[in-house]
Amino acid sequence: MSPDLGKCSRSLLTCEKSNFLNEQSRHEVHVSRHCFNYKISLLLPECEVLPVRVENVIHNFSSYYLVRDLPVYKFLEEKWLATVVKKGSFYALSCKTRIDEDNVCALLPSGQLILSLDKDTYEHLGLEGRPSLYSHKKVMRYVVSVDLTNKSLVPGTKRYQQVLLCLKERVMLRSDFLLTTCHPGADKDGALHNLLSQYTYEECRPTLHSQTLKNLFCPSLHHSDLRGKGLSCTPNQFLEWLGAVNLNISCDNSAVSFLSTYMCPEPRAPVSQSVLCTVTGLIPPKDVCRLLKELRCYFAEPNFAAWVSLTVHGFVDCPVSWGAAEHGFFKGGENLYNFVCFKNQDYWLYKATGSEDACPP
Amino acid sequence: MEEKSASYERVVYKNPSEYHYMKIHLVLENADTSISAEEFKYLIISGLKDLYGEVGAAIPFDVLTFDQTALSAILRVFNSGLVKLWSALTLTGSYANKPCAFRVTQVSPFLLALSGNSREMEV
Repeated sequence: MSPDLGKCSRSLLTCEKSNFLNEQSRHEVHVSRHCFNYKISLLLPECEVLPVRVENVIHNFSSYYLVRDLPVYKFLEEKWLATVVKKGSFYALSCKTRIDEDNVCALLPSGQLILSLDKDTYEHLGLEGRPSLYSHKKVMRYVVSVDLTNKSLVPGTKRYQQVLLCLKERVMLRSDFLLTTCHPGADKDGALHNLLSQYTYEECRPTLHSQTLKNLFCPSLHHSDLRGKGLSCTPNQFLEWLGAVNLNISCDNSAVSFLSTYMCPEPRAPVSQSVLCTVTGLIPPKDVCRLLKELRCYFAEPNFAAWVSLTVHGFVDCPVSWGAAEHGFFKGGENLYNFVCFKNQDYWLYKATGSEDACPP
Repeated sequence: MEEKSASYERVVYKNPSEYHYMKIHLVLENADTSISAEEFKYLIISGLKDLYGEVGAAIPFDVLTFDQTALSAILRVFNSGLVKLWSALTLTGSYANKPCAFRVTQVSPFLLALSGNSREMEV
């Protein structure tokens, strides 16, 4: 077998250490630039039930909408542009479309419409784009980016007519879409509802699941030791352990066990009870920010926890990860980040991506 | 005493994990067949042995979880063994003289990523 087959596609993990009270801390920027969040996972060691204040924040998360069979050109219609797109108040992502085999579409609050298209669709469509950054020998995928807030794209202009013609006449791109507003009050005048009422759609609530884990071994983390030089485990060991806890994997195997030799990394300490809470849906960054803010206050009340963890998973089939950076799917489409918050308002921020992603910001 | 807060620090790791994680499930012709975690691992080792001989059978991997009802599992394997394990899973075609197949649902160098796969979203 070729020795190259022993190598794996590249993955990246960035780790940052800072303090929430630091004026230059960019934690909110990082959260707000990761637009399409699929799942949030909270781990609160030394906690019996999910704190009421945290639960309230989660219950106030924005609803999202599943719209069936929505043609992409509808985003360009005058009323959509005026009432929704140009206000920059909502996110849309095509649903049940796989970025490694289908055409995928996303609309960012900045008004950028991003289409990740296979070669045939791209050639039929006739809109100018660029080859995917993650093409192999032959380019099989193209990315088209249209700024819907651009002045040249107002109804009546030549450019507008051309884009509309491409998306309506040449290739009628349509898909199920997930939509959400940037924050709960963004659709006060009901404009989005009015527009959606022409289509089959349903309003969905993020799904909350919470459980208490008993007698768990938790890695001991010291806020000053990000790299894991002795006071903490290494970043990779910590993320592996978090994965194990989320997937209900046993962490107390022996080194000679036939099935698994996985163990909780050192240094570690027994924790009698911990709360693991997950929320799934299309979760806008503003809601993640509010949850993070609440977690920071968690330490204001007396408790034994030295740290709490917040993990956010992005959609694997999203054409962007952070900001407008291209995202793809090779073996997996992982794009996730994790905050570890400490008592003294220090935090660690891990950002992980797979092979078809740029280095996280 | 309030501990001194940390100064800013940033590290970037390329290929941070020495492992890859695979979420797989086994499809059997007879859905009623019961199989234990040990038998499941042994079936995979047999597949490795058939394809790569004794050296292949010695490739270390862990069965981190096994769901006896769904016949699904999460495997952990060193990066260097991923291609061999994956190919052996693909070519495993029988269990107890009955046709079977392994389906690979998700592969990632981050175990945490396996807990948040948006392709499993039910809407």
